[in-house]
Amino acid sequence: MNYRAERFEATDGVRPPGELRLEGLVKAYGHVVALRGVSLLFRPGLTGIVGDNGAGKSTLLKILSGVETPDAGTIQLNGRPIALSTPAAARRAGIESLYQDLALADTLDVGGNIFLGRELTKSVLGLRVLKRRLMVTQARETISRLNIDIPDVRVAVRTLSGGQRQAVALARAVHFNAPVILMDEPTAALGPRETAAVVEIVRQLVGAGKLVIMVTHDIPRIVQLAHRIVVMRAGRVAFEVAASQTSPDELLAFMVGSKVAAGGGA
Amino acid sequence: MGQQMLGQRGQLVKKPRDHEIGALSPTGSKYLAWILEFSNVGVLVVLVVMFTILSPAFFSSISVDNILTETSLFLLLSLGETFVMISGGIDISVGSMLGLGGVAAASYMSSHYSATSAGALTLLVGLVIALGTGALGGLLNGAVIAYMGINPLIVTLATYGGFLGVADLISNGLPIANLPGASYTLGDGTVVGIPYLVIIAAVFTIVLSWMSINTRFGRYTFAIGANREAVRRAGVNLRKHTMMLYGMTGLLAGLAGLLNAAHFESATSSAGATDLLVAIAAVVIGGTPLTGGEGRVWGTVIGALIYTVLENGFVLVGVPAFWQLVVVAVLIVLAVYADQYQRTLRANMVRVVEVQGVAATPVTGGASGGRVR
Repeated sequence: MNYRAERFEATDGVRPPGELRLEGLVKAYGHVVALRGVSLLFRPGLTGIVGDNGAGKSTLLKILSGVETPDAGTIQLNGRPIALSTPAAARRAGIESLYQDLALADTLDVGGNIFLGRELTKSVLGLRVLKRRLMVTQARETISRLNIDIPDVRVAVRTLSGGQRQAVALARAVHFNAPVILMDEPTAALGPRETAAVVEIVRQLVGAGKLVIMVTHDIPRIVQLAHRIVVMRAGRVAFEVAASQTSPDELLAFMVGSKVAAGGGA
Repeated sequence: MGQQMLGQRGQLVKKPRDHEIGALSPTGSKYLAWILEFSNVGVLVVLVVMFTILSPAFFSSISVDNILTETSLFLLLSLGETFVMISGGIDISVGSMLGLGGVAAASYMSSHYSATSAGALTLLVGLVIALGTGALGGLLNGAVIAYMGINPLIVTLATYGGFLGVADLISNGLPIANLPGASYTLGDGTVVGIPYLVIIAAVFTIVLSWMSINTRFGRYTFAIGANREAVRRAGVNLRKHTMMLYGMTGLLAGLAGLLNAAHFESATSSAGATDLLVAIAAVVIGGTPLTGGEGRVWGTVIGALIYTVLENGFVLVGVPAFWQLVVVAVLIVLAVYADQYQRTLRANMVRVVEVQGVAATPVTGGASGGRVR
């Protein structure tokens, strides 16, 4: 079985990412309006999204992941409107997610988590049977390719440390070679060594031409790493700028509202 | 006591010595955890040896036959229940579905009773009716759970009564006898000395055990028990899975109803009443935790055998019947305690590895594996 064929290949209508365009996204949970009309344009490279708690960053990412659906607004991928109505639909469109809560099945092993929902199977007497050994092998390959230190990929992930679990969730997001990768605070609970490892992986993804969107609280680091930065505040885009043309202090100012942009970012 | 080191956020964290984590070294903990996990096999062996010593007739072929046959009668319920509990749910209507399946099949078969022929065809139709009735009941459970989002315990509590009521309607509250001769062959007959009932139960055990490991359905069952939300985000059709899960359990219960009727030569609506408790006890004693996410089909078989070995052993040794219930109750508690203890041991082992300088990041427990914001 061709290993590459089981990964995401550019299929009909979804070419390597040119752009991801959001127009007028609105999302409310009862009285609480999380997004008040967000319009953004994402291009290949790393875009950082920062903002205070409650700014709407996670909601935005959840909509792009297909976990939530917007009340209003459109999403276009390479000029084509797409409906990210379910997580499966988002994955089919080529969008992979690394969730803040990891969304791992604790009692499954590394391979079981990486392939959750898209297991490799073969047909035996008309029945779909799991290709368990192949999934373990591929999981091991991806883990070592990402330089993650997990000695035995066949253990249940609940026995792994927090950093290793994060790594498994990350491996799941990159294994299928999807063009768009969303990350919600991927380094929030990691120590310095593991953060460096994640940063290196993100660098590789960007170098491979992926479109990566990262929500983070680590302002200094995202200014260093990203191409563009989006500041969200109270459900709106408060500021958009090239990372090289701003500073952590300026971003913070926009985050808390002591500075307001005059009609949009740089 | 213990060296001091800096935790991730710069706070002082004590590095525990080995002996501060339980009374055992990490290696000792590992072995103890492993022993506890498979303790039910040991318990079964001990019980068999003990009863054989106390009453040699225990290991006679008649006695073994009885034990295996009795186990087979409720094992089908336990097998379905194992899957349901692994997924984090529960089904307390399996006993009622057993009664309903048996009564529905018997009702048809007895009205097509022929004194002259064995009635194999009648039995076949009866089988289809039993399977169909059970499956329908199970699908009803699954549908209400999946589409109305009601807790499985509540749903199956309702159907526990509902299915029993329907069974009473069909049977008018009376036992149904006059079953075709072929059903007696099914219920009491043997092939190469092994009862058909045992063969059927064994086949289902092997098939379901294989399924739990080698199919997506089996894997999703475990995953859903561990983290339902993760499975939803992975794009799996949770509703379809729930329907299949409870539908399968109902199908097995319906079949069990027919086999019970064949074995006891009559069907009653309440045939499955005690089987319900025993079936669930077998799953728990076998090592499937109520919280779901893990479990073993073969563990359930061991748990089921432990029950019947105890029951038959008590009879042979002359212990009054009501002691059995007490012992089963004690066994359940011990089994769950051993299970929880070995879990704690394992969790502590992980913490030792972590704090000893590898990665001072706390393992977050809980099914979601989540980080609190």
